Amino acid sequence: MTALEALSVYLPPVREPIRSAVGHLGLRDMDFRIFEKFGLNEVGRDHDASLYDLLMNAAAGLAELQGEEQRVRYVIHARAMPVVAPYPVNPLHEVCRALGLGHALAFTVAHQSCASGLLAIDLAGRLLAADAAIAADGEPAPLALILAGEKAFTREAQMYTATTVFGEGASACLVSASGTRDRMLAYAADVRGEFDSATGANDARLQYEYKYSLADVMRRAMGDAGLTLDDIRVVLPHNVNRKAWVATCKQLGLPLDRVVIDNIGVLGHVFCADMFINYQTARERGLLQPGDRYLAAAVGAGGGATFAAMVFEH
Amino acid sequence: MTTPEADLDSEFRQQVVDTMTTVLARLLDRPEPVTESMRLMEELGLSSTLGLELMLELEDQLLILIDVEEMDPECMTTVGDMATFVASHSRPG
Repeated sequence: MTALEALSVYLPPVREPIRSAVGHLGLRDMDFRIFEKFGLNEVGRDHDASLYDLLMNAAAGLAELQGEEQRVRYVIHARAMPVVAPYPVNPLHEVCRALGLGHALAFTVAHQSCASGLLAIDLAGRLLAADAAIAADGEPAPLALILAGEKAFTREAQMYTATTVFGEGASACLVSASGTRDRMLAYAADVRGEFDSATGANDARLQYEYKYSLADVMRRAMGDAGLTLDDIRVVLPHNVNRKAWVATCKQLGLPLDRVVIDNIGVLGHVFCADMFINYQTARERGLLQPGDRYLAAAVGAGGGATFAAMVFEH
Repeated sequence: MTTPEADLDSEFRQQVVDTMTTVLARLLDRPEPVTESMRLMEELGLSSTLGLELMLELEDQLLILIDVEEMDPECMTTVGDMATFVASHSRPG
């Protein structure tokens, strides 16, 4: 069963008020006030760090990787944005070389925008399970390294008007196909091609359906895991904004205090790294005990929208 | 237990309606008057973003703070519904 083996998170030491972080984009005072109403106050910015630096800083904290590099078959960058560096710069390949993972198959998933982090976990687990099925006896179990985090360097990677402000940061997570820690019990994803931000034609409908579709996919993941909301100790949200989660919690009948929600105000939406960062926060706060079940959920909106949820056992 | 609406200050609600109809006409660039019974989506074509701007303008003009997180578009079909929400989910700013 797919499992998270180890996790490391890097957050920039400096946080900026959103009025400073995206103040150069020509937004109106009204736009900032809407962000603030949505609970977005500060975001991380590491002006001296490249994407390579962000990812390396996250990976550097992954002590469990040291000495196990040869077990890593796949390095997956889970990304929200299709372009994160000017060609031919390839931060992912640079990170692989620096970490001694040049042998691994490295690729990016960005197809589900901000929900691509959950997609990467599922994909890694399935690839590793297929490898394990044909592995020789005694061969060490293979691993995948999932990296998430991006630079807020283009306008669309800095904010979506009346929706979110992106923050910088990164995560590095080792995944196995058969681990015992943080086992994935279920994954559900609804891909909705009709919500294409390129045309904007269905933006109003997406806003209207957001809480229903997110709640539905969360219910489906819980159902697939044979669980109900009462069985879920903690929900790890994507950090799009507080208002979306308040509405979704009401729709689900989920008390807001079971959602690790306060990173939204101080970190913003850290692309696909939200779930990993919020997991770390839950651990630091002692919110997860062995055997606890928790749910991670994300919505990716871009070329289509994806509503995704994943249930784990800690 | 009473709902926030049950304790509604009708005078304040009317003040919200008056301000809201004026602001809405300006935000929508609409020469005809906006009335309390008008439907926000179907008749006025109010987007969620413009709805938020309306809330912020109301805050400025009425010197209140509105609990925007509690806004549920489905419970607000008409201008009057939205005024009721504002009157019952705001405090002096």
